[in-house]
Amino acid sequence: MKKSTLALSLLLPLSPLAAFAATAPLDLVGPVSDYKIYVTEEIGELVTQTQAFTDAINKGDLATAKKLYAPTRVHYESIEPIAELFSDLDASIDSRVDDHEKGVTAEDFTGFHRIEYALFSQNSTQGLETLTAKLNTDVNDLKTRVDGLTFPPEKVVGGAAALLEEVAATKISGEEDRYSHTDLYDFQGNIDGAKKIVDLFRGQIEKQDKAFLAKVDKNFATVDKVLAKYKTKDGGFETYDKVKDSDRKALVGPVNTLAEDLSMLRGKLGLN
Amino acid sequence: MTNPTPQPASPPRALRWAVAGSVVVMIAAGGLFYYASQLAAAKRQTHSNEIAVSIHAHACEPNALTVPAGPASFRIINRSDRAVEWEILDGVLVVEERENIAPGLSQVINANLQPGDYAITCGLLSNPRGTLHVTPTAESEAQAKAKPSMVAFIGPLSEFRVYLSSQGSALIKAVTALQQAIDAGDLTQAQALYATARVAYQGLAPAAQRMAELDNAINARADYFEKREQDPAFSGFHRIEYSLFQQRSLDGLAPVAQRLLSDVTTLKQQLLAQSLPPEQLVGIVVRNLNSLADVRALSGEEERYSHLDLNGFAANLAAAHKVVELMRPLLEKSAADLLPKVDNALGAFDSQLDSLKVDGQYRRYDSVTDGQRKQIADKAKALAAVLDGIDPALGLSGLQ
Repeated sequence: MKKSTLALSLLLPLSPLAAFAATAPLDLVGPVSDYKIYVTEEIGELVTQTQAFTDAINKGDLATAKKLYAPTRVHYESIEPIAELFSDLDASIDSRVDDHEKGVTAEDFTGFHRIEYALFSQNSTQGLETLTAKLNTDVNDLKTRVDGLTFPPEKVVGGAAALLEEVAATKISGEEDRYSHTDLYDFQGNIDGAKKIVDLFRGQIEKQDKAFLAKVDKNFATVDKVLAKYKTKDGGFETYDKVKDSDRKALVGPVNTLAEDLSMLRGKLGLN
Repeated sequence: MTNPTPQPASPPRALRWAVAGSVVVMIAAGGLFYYASQLAAAKRQTHSNEIAVSIHAHACEPNALTVPAGPASFRIINRSDRAVEWEILDGVLVVEERENIAPGLSQVINANLQPGDYAITCGLLSNPRGTLHVTPTAESEAQAKAKPSMVAFIGPLSEFRVYLSSQGSALIKAVTALQQAIDAGDLTQAQALYATARVAYQGLAPAAQRMAELDNAINARADYFEKREQDPAFSGFHRIEYSLFQQRSLDGLAPVAQRLLSDVTTLKQQLLAQSLPPEQLVGIVVRNLNSLADVRALSGEEERYSHLDLNGFAANLAAAHKVVELMRPLLEKSAADLLPKVDNALGAFDSQLDSLKVDGQYRRYDSVTDGQRKQIADKAKALAAVLDGIDPALGLSGLQ
């Protein structure tokens, strides 16, 4: 054993691979498990807050329900790389009207956006009992499934890019929360979720490519700075229609660059 | 870390620079070659053998795909009038997906596919699901038989660390409650909470036993101390057990409980800080089961004052179940013949312990006969023996 290690370490400097000292797979165990712990906490919040949100609806308290809609959803948006692995639940919790041929009248259009339509477009809490019950069942089901899931490392690391692609595709356009215009909450949720992944793997990424990390950090900071302009005193966000054109444009560049850069993360950590 | 490179007696300076220079050049050249070949490989992967799939308003074309195992590229062309998604599903789980493909545009999805049958989400949720049949290749067959790579252990080891974290939190919570009951002077409550805390500890015991000194502070029996129960250094769970169940008194326990709480808090931190090599994951469970079989089952020495041994054994067994569940996907792939034996041994131990329940509660260990104790020891031993076969079967022992 000793002998072969010695021989190997003598040969190693001559191998072309030595210039790209790879991340040892076992170094990823800590960050992957810390990510699961983070996701578990977020889902715990999602379950608790969904209950409070739907309680308000069932009591007919429209103002409270509207207020709780966005802060509740954030806990789904921040963990979307894992949540959307379960396609059936992702459809019943988070599908948008466009995903359904019959639009808002489709029977299987359920979840947050269907409720959003009732609260913000119809200004009503009436007749939502089935939908609120289903949403609670679904988020609890999600919790059980995530608890039992061994997180695939490539999905965890790839999740950072997936979140930024989500931002690029649906948040900047303002189509995700088209009735409530609370897109900035989701926007921040996606960004925070992606940043969490980068932070958890920071040590490993730094070893591979310091300049890359600096660039990613800088773009995150730029996005955060623009988002911060629209924070309200109660810790929430202005509605998306208030976001100036110049700021929307200022977000496009860093978001696209982040999506592109983060898509290389799997490769950098040896998970392709 | 030591540097195994032999240090030769200082050669002339010029020669050293020349050698260093040539090594740098070689590394750089090798690096460039590696980079170029990776680039070429990446190009090849995205531009050849693309499988085109069109999403129409109500279905995909083709809607039934068959591809060989391995890397595959799908070019998804959205010919419907909405932004839609295309996903490859294994049951309800997404293998790969692309969301928000704009109308009229196309996107490429790269997937590395294992043989099997998959479903396809195709545009609108009401559209019929497509099918994807992935056929085995010589390479995929060879891969299926090969020993798992280190990357394959990231999942199970991460999941075990999550288990340590949640069990560690449960232990801290249980010991906090125990300490509060002791402070409140509630003997009955403290006795009940001792049982809860022990179960939480025994679920972690296989990993905790790696931390020799800390584990002694938490779990040492009176025998390890010169003056046994009367020794001032006797501390931890069993010191508390002695007072609660033997002396039926809370006198002087407050500082012991306080220290135990501080020790289990440190234990959780250390368990999360220590990395566990893959060959140890099963190894620690085997060691724990062997100590059960060789010592604890026969003597009943572990919980000699409370006689709650069976609850502890069941928690040890639950930890073994947990580890087997985490390794199951790897075993199914690389050591399928071992799995039924593992499951049988787990099941036999389960039934043995279940047979010692009365009204859903485990019996006190002082009511368990020598013959029954021998049975428990035998089942634990048999389980340890079959688990011991896992590491070699996965190529984790006898590595060069």
